[in-house]
Amino acid sequence: MTQLQIIEKLRTMMRKSSQAQVDWDTVTADSSIASLGFDSLSILDLVYDIQQEFGFEFEAEELVGVKTVGQLADFLEKKQK
Amino acid sequence: MKKLRHLLEYCASLFGLFLLDRISPSTAEHLAIKMADLWYCFNSLRRQIACDNIRRSGITPSDSEVNRIARESFRHLAVLVVESLKSGNVFDENNWREKVEIDIHPETMEILKEPGRGVILVSGHFGNWEVAAQLLSYIKPVTGITRDMDNPYTDKLMKERKPRNRFQLTPKHDAGVDRLLSVLKNGEILALMIDQHAMGRGMAINFFGMPASTHTSPALLHLVTRAPLCFGYCIRKGPMSYKFKAIAPIIHKPTGNRENDVRVILEMLTIELENAIRQNPEQYLWAHRRWKIKPPSANQV
Repeated sequence: MTQLQIIEKLRTMMRKSSQAQVDWDTVTADSSIASLGFDSLSILDLVYDIQQEFGFEFEAEELVGVKTVGQLADFLEKKQK
Repeated sequence: MKKLRHLLEYCASLFGLFLLDRISPSTAEHLAIKMADLWYCFNSLRRQIACDNIRRSGITPSDSEVNRIARESFRHLAVLVVESLKSGNVFDENNWREKVEIDIHPETMEILKEPGRGVILVSGHFGNWEVAAQLLSYIKPVTGITRDMDNPYTDKLMKERKPRNRFQLTPKHDAGVDRLLSVLKNGEILALMIDQHAMGRGMAINFFGMPASTHTSPALLHLVTRAPLCFGYCIRKGPMSYKFKAIAPIIHKPTGNRENDVRVILEMLTIELENAIRQNPEQYLWAHRRWKIKPPSANQV
């Protein structure tokens, strides 16, 4: 899966989990995850969904420091290799 | 006006601590009970909340027993404060095992002793949670989450006075997911309370048969980090005498149904807390509004 495909998949997942009013068509790699309505609690929901959706295990702690959709996609792209 | 009130409270706290340092634990307990009785007598709002909560829990059908449990619960809280402040002079790394009865499941003890392994320890406002954290910190560093007191002067004073070994408190406003994950990554114990009202952000979990908005973070952290999830508490047996109990670790593998996974774990933890309370109802903080509002949706995470 390319990074673009991962971002597209993430966008779909985030749209499902986020409770914020977001124009999802404008979400890009540079969009901050926090700006998409994910706070310290709902980010855990997203991590759970990512682990299940992408079908591979990773330590949630590895996501410490990941702030944007692009950084998250980058992390997942490296993990799938 | 608010600042004046805060300063007056601060002075009263300073005087209380000055007095506390100069009296024996048994005298401190005696004074704490007298104060609690006055508080119970005059704070009709809290007394009513406590009695209502005990009735709703169905622990006893008897009104006199409801009143007795409520009064004892007030006394327990007062003694908890006093003994928590004094515990730093009583327990230390070398003597705590002799002074505390330990009833920790062998698998949990093994996990606690494993260096570098992060553990999520869940408890409730039951027994003496302050002493529990202090004692656990002799095995592994503990990080808990706390809400700042409304009075900043008293807050600072109390934080300085609380016994510290390897027990840290993170303010609630600073307890982001990065911080919680770092605690687990560093191989420490992350201590979380299961019985705090989570408002609309929680999941409705039955507590004594009635839905109570419950924080989902203990369950989600377990599901995404696979860090062992343990439930434990510290029962007071007498003056500065405690029994620490922890059950076998809860292991729940994610199934792909997030809401259901979270619900199953929170229900298990809540049942453990209920069972513990039923055995020692006087040691639960009944004056706390557990069933504050009905959550907007039973399925909301």
